[in-house]
Amino acid sequence: MIPGRLLAAGCLAGLLLTAGMQNRYDATFDYFAERGTFVALPSGKALKVLSFGYSNLAADLLFIWSIQFYSTPYLTNRFDFLEKVYDTITDITPQYKEPYIIGSLIMVYEARDIPMALRLLDKGSRHNPDEWFFDHDAGYYCYKFLKDFTKAEFYYNRAAAKPDAPTFIKRLGAHMVYLHDDPKVAYQMWLDIYNHARDTLEKDAAFNHLYQIKAQNDLALLKERIGMFRNRFRRWPDHLSELLGAGLLPSLPSDFAGSDYLYDPEQGTVSAARVFRWKRH
Amino acid sequence: MKALEIRDLKKTFRSNFLLKKFPVLKGIQLNVEKGEIYGFLGPNGAGKTTTIKCIMGLLFPDQGEILVEGQPAASLAARRRIGFLPENPYFYDYLNARELLFFSASLFNLPAADVRDRVAALIHQVGLSGHEELKLRKFSKGMIQRLGLAQALIHNPDLLILDEPFSGLDPIGRKDLRTLILSLREQGKTIFFSSHILQDMEMMVDRVGIILKGSISREGKLSELISRSTQYYEIICSHISEKELAKIQAHFACRDGQYSLTLPSDADINMAVESIIHNNGRIVAVNPVKMTLEDIFFNEMRPHRPATTGDSR
Amino acid sequence: MKMKIKAIAVNTFKESARNKMFYLLVFFGILFALSSKLISFLTLGDAMKVLKDTGLAAINFFCILIAIFTGINLVYKEIEKKTVFNILSKPVSRDQFIIGKFLGLALTMLTALAAMAGIFFLFVLVNGGGFDLMILLYFFMLFLELLVIVALSLLFSSFTTPILSFIFTVSLYLIGHIMWTFNEFKMILRDPFWKYFTQVLYYLLPNLDKFNIKNEVVLNTPLSPWTILFSVLYALAYIPALLAVTILIFRKRDFQ
Repeated sequence: MIPGRLLAAGCLAGLLLTAGMQNRYDATFDYFAERGTFVALPSGKALKVLSFGYSNLAADLLFIWSIQFYSTPYLTNRFDFLEKVYDTITDITPQYKEPYIIGSLIMVYEARDIPMALRLLDKGSRHNPDEWFFDHDAGYYCYKFLKDFTKAEFYYNRAAAKPDAPTFIKRLGAHMVYLHDDPKVAYQMWLDIYNHARDTLEKDAAFNHLYQIKAQNDLALLKERIGMFRNRFRRWPDHLSELLGAGLLPSLPSDFAGSDYLYDPEQGTVSAARVFRWKRH
Repeated sequence: MKALEIRDLKKTFRSNFLLKKFPVLKGIQLNVEKGEIYGFLGPNGAGKTTTIKCIMGLLFPDQGEILVEGQPAASLAARRRIGFLPENPYFYDYLNARELLFFSASLFNLPAADVRDRVAALIHQVGLSGHEELKLRKFSKGMIQRLGLAQALIHNPDLLILDEPFSGLDPIGRKDLRTLILSLREQGKTIFFSSHILQDMEMMVDRVGIILKGSISREGKLSELISRSTQYYEIICSHISEKELAKIQAHFACRDGQYSLTLPSDADINMAVESIIHNNGRIVAVNPVKMTLEDIFFNEMRPHRPATTGDSR
Repeated sequence: MKMKIKAIAVNTFKESARNKMFYLLVFFGILFALSSKLISFLTLGDAMKVLKDTGLAAINFFCILIAIFTGINLVYKEIEKKTVFNILSKPVSRDQFIIGKFLGLALTMLTALAAMAGIFFLFVLVNGGGFDLMILLYFFMLFLELLVIVALSLLFSSFTTPILSFIFTVSLYLIGHIMWTFNEFKMILRDPFWKYFTQVLYYLLPNLDKFNIKNEVVLNTPLSPWTILFSVLYALAYIPALLAVTILIFRKRDFQ
């Protein structure tokens, strides 16, 4: 008969040992290195079969997972299966609009693959022929990133033809042929949508565009003024507020969400606090 | 018309898809007259419960006929006339006694007004007064048995079929049950019950059917079966020397200063008694020893001689 | 005659209401349905969709569990504990017993579903989902599906052990939800015998996805009243067929 105390001591020792081993193993293991995700993601149809009638929930869970996953910046190569994931979700529930919008946002601003985003938006438009939002977004991306004004015009016109399309889309369609990259017009357009948004989806999407445009403008301005500071004072400013003191700026711009821009005094670089807004308000 | 008639009942069980069959009932034949108490006697595993289940339509016979007052036993009409108490009965234990009787009554389409009175009367009759509201899971074995009898009587049947009603009862319970069954006979009901306890049977039954290994070994009125044979006579005496006794009869037994002689028939009794008295002996008793049901039973068992008397099911 | 069926049905209902497992499953069903609120926080865009999806899925899942477990347990317990003798030894036919049991189980399912559905309906209302009558329609369709499941578990438990009944019922539930693939599968097959075989299976086995209108309810896509009517008629035809088979099997059964 093993005495009770010995058993307890043995148990404790064993647990400590396993904890120690796990600790050592984790220390050697680079958590952020390339992780193979999705060795095999079933297609939309397959997932529909496998979920035995709970396919809506499966699509929702996959969507929720994808939002969390793609907002984790330190995972490398995370966009390998981006299109497949969103294809699966939209195959299961083609009339669920969120995945098209969010998916295209990720594809454009994170993965920087515009044609992929356009494919997704085209699919959304196909399955939801009465919705103008997909074509409108597609038009915007053609205009802003591909600089393909002919294609942009095509999308804007298609969007304008849908029922309930806001009137400004028609104007945009007309402008496309003549416009160059004018951030002011784009900004105005998104501000219009933001203020008149029908639901949280539209507001969120507009917010993200506005954030990007403002950040781009503000950061360019800050960079210029910081450069001027350095030329004058032979050093980087310690804080952005020094620019005010030097008379280089009347006031410090903040990002569209109202926070300050980040400044690194060692390098003299500015950046936006968040690349993307992932949380709901 | 007989209360219950079974003709050539056969039933074979197959053990689970293995085509190995084993026959349980090999041609049962029995008759129960109206208004009598019939004791169905047999060792464990002889086929008593199987026969009863065939009567109640819980098992389907392979062959043979069972008639209850002329109706085939498996029909609804027959079951309307029978009150059944299964072996080791179990009832829904979350009900109380009253609720269970109401439930039983509802299975007979009895008019509601009658049922209330009937339930109250029955609870009193079986001796469960005061326990109507108690949940069945708190009932003792004896109480369950009484309740079982009550639910068997709820529709006032003419024929009662009871499977091992005395099993698990204490002596008080057994006496009460005996009284109850006898009173039911007074009311003109027929009672058919199975048992392997001979003493209870002997005290109550009019007729006996002995079942052994799936067939009826002996059937008949108890009085006939027993009176057919006075086995022997026993004379008990004392105050006589063994030498004298040996002259009267070679074999005798001795216990506590008294001697016991066994004589085959009454012819020699007078002679033996006279001899003892002549030798200044004292006659303590002269007993005719009849066969008991136990003797009859073991007689029947003898040619078969089962290896164990335990339950072979 | 009807009184006997009613008595058995009521008794069956009372018995299932005693079962602790039943209450546990109802409780967890409600719990999971309400936790859909938490999951809805994780999504972007329309949170109500995720809330409804998760909630309906939770109630669906737990009700199916209740249907299978109660269905199998109740009949098994009757036969095991021999309380079935008390009923069948009286002038109650085996048909009446089965029908009574089914109705009792149906009543049980109705209670469970009503409890979960009522709470969830209010939950959606409180969370800004509005007075969505489509959800009620969904629960009605779910109830039909549950009746089919109950009939299936009754069928199997009338002649096999509870474990096998469970396996068969669950298998048919899963297959029932992928029946729509059979039609396409049939196209792939060349051999006419296998084509015919698949076709027969398709008609014979329960087509449960008919009752699955989650998609239409949550996304508010249009739902044709003919589809609903057709599904209801399907249930009204299929369930008596299952009960008939159950009765036929039960009639032959020996109770050792």
